[in-house]
Amino acid sequence: MGNFKINVKRKARYVNEDLCTGCGSCAEKCPTMAVDVFNAGIGQRKAIYKYFAQGIPSVFTIDAPNCRQLGQGKKCGVCAKTCQAKAIDFEQKDATVEVEAGAIVIASGYDVFDPSVIPEYGYGRIDNVVTALEFERLLSASGPTSGHLDRPSELALEKEIEESEKEVRKLSGRVKQLEEKQGKNSAQVIEEVKAGASDPALLEWAKQAESLAGIETRLEAMHHKKAAATTARKLAFIQCVGSRDFRFNKFCSSYCCMHSVKEAMIANEHDREVHSSIFCMDLRAVGRGFEEYKLRGGLQANIEYVRGRVAEITEGEAKNPIVWYECTTDRQVKSQVFDMVVLASACVPSAGTAKLAQLAGVELDANGFIKTDSLMPLAASRPGIFVCGCAQGPMDIPESVAQASSAAACAAEVVIGAPAELRATA
Amino acid sequence: MNKDVLVIGGGIAGIQASLDLAEMGIQVHMVERLPSIGGKMAQLDKTFPTNDCAI
Repeated sequence: MGNFKINVKRKARYVNEDLCTGCGSCAEKCPTMAVDVFNAGIGQRKAIYKYFAQGIPSVFTIDAPNCRQLGQGKKCGVCAKTCQAKAIDFEQKDATVEVEAGAIVIASGYDVFDPSVIPEYGYGRIDNVVTALEFERLLSASGPTSGHLDRPSELALEKEIEESEKEVRKLSGRVKQLEEKQGKNSAQVIEEVKAGASDPALLEWAKQAESLAGIETRLEAMHHKKAAATTARKLAFIQCVGSRDFRFNKFCSSYCCMHSVKEAMIANEHDREVHSSIFCMDLRAVGRGFEEYKLRGGLQANIEYVRGRVAEITEGEAKNPIVWYECTTDRQVKSQVFDMVVLASACVPSAGTAKLAQLAGVELDANGFIKTDSLMPLAASRPGIFVCGCAQGPMDIPESVAQASSAAACAAEVVIGAPAELRATA
Repeated sequence: MNKDVLVIGGGIAGIQASLDLAEMGIQVHMVERLPSIGGKMAQLDKTFPTNDCAI
């Protein structure tokens, strides 16, 4: 401790942070879309992007692998031409920054457990089964659906409609060109081909015209479906997905009972018709004010607490998920149809934790979180290194913040130290 | 003894630790892998039990 030397890889943004004003003109003009990681994979954002609107630093970044110019070797550079601050720099390279420190605080956070390894829950297969983090993005006014509980199956439908309309525009453009050039209309051509015409050009034309008619019919059906769609009103929350589970993580993820109550409450605030069923073994509400919050949810926010673990989620008609469970108070196996199912998925160490621990020379605990001493709960196994927040184990925001202040104090103790006259003699 | 502190992670815990250290007059180097700080908390809509906005 006292003399750590750390090499930090500073990734290229391809944007000069000192010049970028965060205006967003570049993103408006960028022709390429990519998956929006901030919005938990729902919706898309441009290849030049700000991670989220209020993000600090308030500058843009180019997602190089998805950039036409940087990642695909095509000619573009529209962002650089648009930028009035001349902040775009395609020549920027990754750099290594050497940092010297007397103490280190690890606050590397957590990741959401991927529930697709629990096939009976249908995550990844059934559109309207989502994780709690995805649900947070759907609930957010700044999220991909402006806070309306549009079902993922409907979002998928909208995407299909968009792509079909693009296809229709393309095909009808071609067909129109042929009609104008040849002076015939497509219906005639289709008849001629049916009657036995064998000219390859006519056959191609007929094929395109029929394809166009087919897509237009499907589009009409899709538009009907879209018009009939409502936002999700009947919600199911499944607790302990990947937590308290001998197959995956034995521990309790600590905050998910509370966040399910919260999400159900906020959804009900947004739309008073929303009804939520929370399927749990026990609904853990340990902190100050939490028990009252849980009761308020049941009394005022149209929440029903069901004691029972969910055995399976299947897909019914109209893409509605069906939850199969044993209600332990009735001792009966039941099923219920919902509009959307939210999985309270476990809190697991963030992806790079094992590598980070190796680099830092600190130990991990049995669950892969950074191990701390039970008598010195912020200290990692190497002197001068402290851990706080979910890097240490699942905890909520107030606990993470309290640990962070504590870790700061520990680190300060190392680097400031005690004045000579107060230091104990050996 | 070097007087700086390295904070790994720019989520709520990393931000709080960095601010506390900085207010003590310590030079902090905060490293964050994503283009913005904020971490998971920035992705939340509201927080329990007060239902305050997360960001």
